[in-house]
Amino acid sequence: MLKIRDICKSFNGVKILDRVNLQVETGGILGLAGPSGCGKSTLLRCIQKLEIPESGSIEYDGKAGFMFQDFQLFPHMTVMQNLLYVPNLKSKQRKKQEHQAIAVLKNIGIESKKHDYPVTLSGGQKQRVALARTLMTSPDILLCDEPTSGLDVATTDDVVQLLKSVNRVDLNSFGNFQKQTVTMVIASHDLDFLTKISDRIVLLKNGKIVADIKPSNFDDQIQLLKGYYL
Amino acid sequence: MEKLFVYFLQIWHGVGFSLTLLAGGFFVGITLGTILAITRYTRFRFITNQVITLVRSTPLILQVSIIYFAIPGALGVHLNVLTAGIIAFGINSSAYVSEILRAGIESLPRGQFEAAQALGIPKYYTWRDIILPQVVSNVLPALVNEIIALLKETSIISVIGGTDIMRRAQITAAENFEYFTPLCIAGFCYYVLVVLIEFIGKQIAKRTCHYHAKN
Repeated sequence: MLKIRDICKSFNGVKILDRVNLQVETGGILGLAGPSGCGKSTLLRCIQKLEIPESGSIEYDGKAGFMFQDFQLFPHMTVMQNLLYVPNLKSKQRKKQEHQAIAVLKNIGIESKKHDYPVTLSGGQKQRVALARTLMTSPDILLCDEPTSGLDVATTDDVVQLLKSVNRVDLNSFGNFQKQTVTMVIASHDLDFLTKISDRIVLLKNGKIVADIKPSNFDDQIQLLKGYYL
Repeated sequence: MEKLFVYFLQIWHGVGFSLTLLAGGFFVGITLGTILAITRYTRFRFITNQVITLVRSTPLILQVSIIYFAIPGALGVHLNVLTAGIIAFGINSSAYVSEILRAGIESLPRGQFEAAQALGIPKYYTWRDIILPQVVSNVLPALVNEIIALLKETSIISVIGGTDIMRRAQITAAENFEYFTPLCIAGFCYYVLVVLIEFIGKQIAKRTCHYHAKN
């Protein structure tokens, strides 16, 4: 379970997060919605410890993996090298890790690109490689920052299916991972995308949670949520 | 023609010395320069900045003289010309190399550091495997420029008696009471070496920049 208590964070005197409280059940998919600058990315960065909150606490078991909005693949490494770099640093079981990486690439449909450099990939393919690289670290929590930004409608649907499969399908199919469920926190300004993928949507505005909607209420409250963007 | 050949042979003997000085100086320069560039991103940044400013604000001829004449005298040790030259050129080059690397580091997206941090890559490996390979690839032309500048600066070694290309040309000229031909030969030697360095630089760039979009 991910527990966030009274998180505050400011940049240059401007409050970005203002006493945010949140709990996400293990295996849940939380959508973080809100207009640009509302604090979605900052909250994810605080969970990943890329930013240090001024007050409050963030607790979770295991480790978090982060998918950046602009992917941040290592451009001087091939797809395979991007996937294997961290596992190779941590363990010497190279053959096993290689099989695991190939299994992951197969599952996300880009095995044929394993020897390519990121610069030759499309946005959707980079997104998949970024996801695969994060999965290779066996995260307990997957933090996705605007995973569909800059992607077309068809690729966005692919991303929805992909993230759902990572969360719901037995991860053994992703190459003998031991963990069965991954908790996800997905930040996006695209409400339609979040509606398709999330178990729950939280709306942030001016650093505060202004709405918290469960799936049963999605249809009724989606218009209300959209209203908060105005 | 025979005279030209004799002059050329006499001056060519200095090429080995100049190249040894260049290789040693650049090795020290890139090693120290990398350390200085990285320490700029640590709490030692103030000291690093002062060291770089000190080196860049004093003439190379003064640094060579201090390392060959002043420091051995003060410490009671003896340094030969080549060792003193390598140390002096290395220290001088390190300040410029560190500035080149700093520009390269700052041109990388901050996200590369963050991605490494998010993946749990230790700092040493982040610098060694993620940041520096990209930086070196991006600043290769500037580094080649620094090597060429360093090659030409090695002629300063003659002030402490090093027999490099320039010193050999001066000796040949003085012995034969003729300056034009030996100095032109020295110029030709430097020209050939610079063309060679540029060629090697381009070959390395082709091999290391294969992941850039333009290729």
